[in-house]
Amino acid sequence: MAAGVTPDLGGLAERIREAKLRGFVDLYLARTAEVWWRLAGGAVTSRRELLREGAAARFTGSFDSSDGLDRLILAELLGVPPRTLPAFTLAPFPQPPDVAPVVAALGATECELHWRGGWAVLLADGSETVLRRPELLEISLPDGQRLLHAWPLAPGWIPPQPVPAPVGAVRTGNATVLLAPAAAAVLFHELLAHPLEGDLLLRGSSPLAGRRGVRLFTIPVDVDDDPTAPSLPGSFSADDEGVAARRRLLVRDGVLVGMLCDRASAAALGGKPGNARRATVHTPPRPRVSNLVVRCRRGDADALRQDAAIEVTSLASGSVEPRLGLVTLAVRSAWALRRGARDQALAPFVLFGTIDEVLDGVRALAGPSQPTAEPGWCSKDGEVVPTGAIAPWVLLAGLEAR
Amino acid sequence: MSEPAAPLLPAVHSAVEELRRRRVRFEVFARAGESTHLRRHSDGSWERRRSREVGVSCRAAGDGRAGFAASSGSSARAGREAARAALGTMLPAPDPLPPRELLGCLAVPGRPQPSGAAELEALAHAFTASLSAWGERLRLLELRVVEGVSSSLLTTGEGFSCTAEAGGGVVEALLAPQHGPLRLVHWAARAVSDLQPERLAAPVGEAALALSRGHAVRRQLADVVLAPPVAARLVLALVRAATDGRENALVGTGERRRGRGPWHVVDDRAGPRALLPLPCDGEGIPLRRVEVIADGVVTGGWATWAEACATGAPPGGAVRPSYQDEPRAGPANLVVLADQPQPREALVHRLGRGFLLDFPGGEVRSDGSSFALRAAATAISGGRPDGTHPIVELRGSFRRLLGALEAAGDDNASFSLACTVTTPSLLIRGMEIA
Repeated sequence: MAAGVTPDLGGLAERIREAKLRGFVDLYLARTAEVWWRLAGGAVTSRRELLREGAAARFTGSFDSSDGLDRLILAELLGVPPRTLPAFTLAPFPQPPDVAPVVAALGATECELHWRGGWAVLLADGSETVLRRPELLEISLPDGQRLLHAWPLAPGWIPPQPVPAPVGAVRTGNATVLLAPAAAAVLFHELLAHPLEGDLLLRGSSPLAGRRGVRLFTIPVDVDDDPTAPSLPGSFSADDEGVAARRRLLVRDGVLVGMLCDRASAAALGGKPGNARRATVHTPPRPRVSNLVVRCRRGDADALRQDAAIEVTSLASGSVEPRLGLVTLAVRSAWALRRGARDQALAPFVLFGTIDEVLDGVRALAGPSQPTAEPGWCSKDGEVVPTGAIAPWVLLAGLEAR
Repeated sequence: MSEPAAPLLPAVHSAVEELRRRRVRFEVFARAGESTHLRRHSDGSWERRRSREVGVSCRAAGDGRAGFAASSGSSARAGREAARAALGTMLPAPDPLPPRELLGCLAVPGRPQPSGAAELEALAHAFTASLSAWGERLRLLELRVVEGVSSSLLTTGEGFSCTAEAGGGVVEALLAPQHGPLRLVHWAARAVSDLQPERLAAPVGEAALALSRGHAVRRQLADVVLAPPVAARLVLALVRAATDGRENALVGTGERRRGRGPWHVVDDRAGPRALLPLPCDGEGIPLRRVEVIADGVVTGGWATWAEACATGAPPGGAVRPSYQDEPRAGPANLVVLADQPQPREALVHRLGRGFLLDFPGGEVRSDGSSFALRAAATAISGGRPDGTHPIVELRGSFRRLLGALEAAGDDNASFSLACTVTTPSLLIRGMEIA
């Protein structure tokens, strides 16, 4: 969020505190601008724009939200007469960036750009917390790649390439695969990010429920959730309940040590809050991952390639069935390997296994870990939040390719 | 002007005023929706959510340029912002707005009255009681009851104006048998009060328990009966594949496939079977019933006015999921119709040997030409149950599916997916299952 683009709420938080509203938890205000550009032949062929603003009030056991930001709406959400609220000034919608350099870099690639920027403020306990988040730029290609970046793009950004046309089909059966960082990021997201969400742990519908302190990986693996990494899409200064951002240890030396909690699940599970995120103004905060960082400084991906039959460069999706722990990875692009070298591009296929098979199957990592533009968006019950990842190359054995 | 649409007028009027000054062709669309969610957590606590989504969008065209923008809120400021932003997005493009003479409204049934808060809570408690009858053998992990109503207003610079109202409700339950995977159950209706907990819960609970244990199925070609919750997801995936402009394997004059039985998939927008009947499509074109598949042949689809101009297809069938979205062609109220529907028992008897797929196990995976869906299955032999399988996967090509659907049941049920889908059980021959 650009500095200085914050609203002057005129003491609104203090006025709400003085009103002593029964069961009041917090009031969330947000303004967001979004622009989509469709590109073809190296030029912008269409552009559309969305300006969104709204507010949400949480009370114990209830959540009310509304589009629009004015005194009448806030008064209705809070259940107070409008005159009890002070006049306030909203910061303007942020202006969309100049994406001409990106358009030029993408050349003739047919794709869509989607930029999002805005501000959000949380009012609770008589104080205001400005929730700073990065502006985002997503690049969507016709082959299904959706690459999410914090804006402005990092120096050295390389335009995405379309998935190569497949030549062969995967051989059905168990396979040892080498996951490129973008694919490994999706795998770790499914293995750890969702199953460590506090609300799922609480209701027992996570395959990792009750496994804190247990060794998950047979090799030393370190995984953090890090909302403080400024150049990643899932970053924030404070979570959507106003808790200051902090790096959270999830796995140390292969042992499960942490989880992702909002205030409610932290209280129930004995964890620490700080991972509450809202998909929109209309959805309450829930425990979600911010940026998942799989640490690895050393290694040699070429050496791992010698041990693999398939190199997976990107995954279209991943899922974990919570009760049985069945992991499904839909492969978008991959190469058959022959003696450690790429042989032929493979048509999309699916990798299956149980969560324990996948955890046991992580044989080696090769770094250095690098930021990846996928998974990008994280969906939970239809609620979608931006997320970032840093991941290494991963050698994975024991999954069935089909 | 209908009373529910009245709160939208300040935004619409200010947008119209702004756009008129610029002497462009334009369309202003505003929608206000209000939904109430009741959610029961596994510890028995309740969460109540109410959300009001309201906004306005504008399309503008002139001098060989066109643009679109939307803004949330119903105030005059929101309307002005949307109009100015739309004017700012105008780029060289064909005029996407349909001509005035094409626009019109049909009379459709009014939306049902939304339940009051007390009625909704009573219903949620009744569902909770009905779904908790199996004790620890089958725990109710989560219950969600959602009811929503919306009012929308479409007006153009050439004097066309139309209001529409819609409403509907959904109940979802996440069930945890002592063994096996979790089961997500979903019911939809024009009003949640149409959903009867006592009638709906018992068969679902019994089936969830019965299907909690079992072994894997060996890979084979098999005949299957898809229960409505499974059929609805597959029908939606089939329709998407059949009408996706990028995938022509199923659609068009050269590749029509003939099925074995008289069955149809229609987009029944105006009723009487539509779950959410509307007076016109998202661009103001009077609704036509779109027959997507007839007797197993892909026969039609939808087109916005701009697409119709480009391809020569008949215009009609634009949907606007929200005020934020430009009109796009697609289904709204899919209904599967069979000329000779049969009771489900007769369908299972006709199946003879095969599998009855009862509970969906996630979304259908599709690459546009083939699909894979997971479900819980009961093995059927001689028309009778002969074993259970907590998870099987049904796979095949949509082309084969079109020719393999043999008969349909009379047990219609409605689901609120990407659009509404109303379907009975379907008997399909010779698909791969594993």
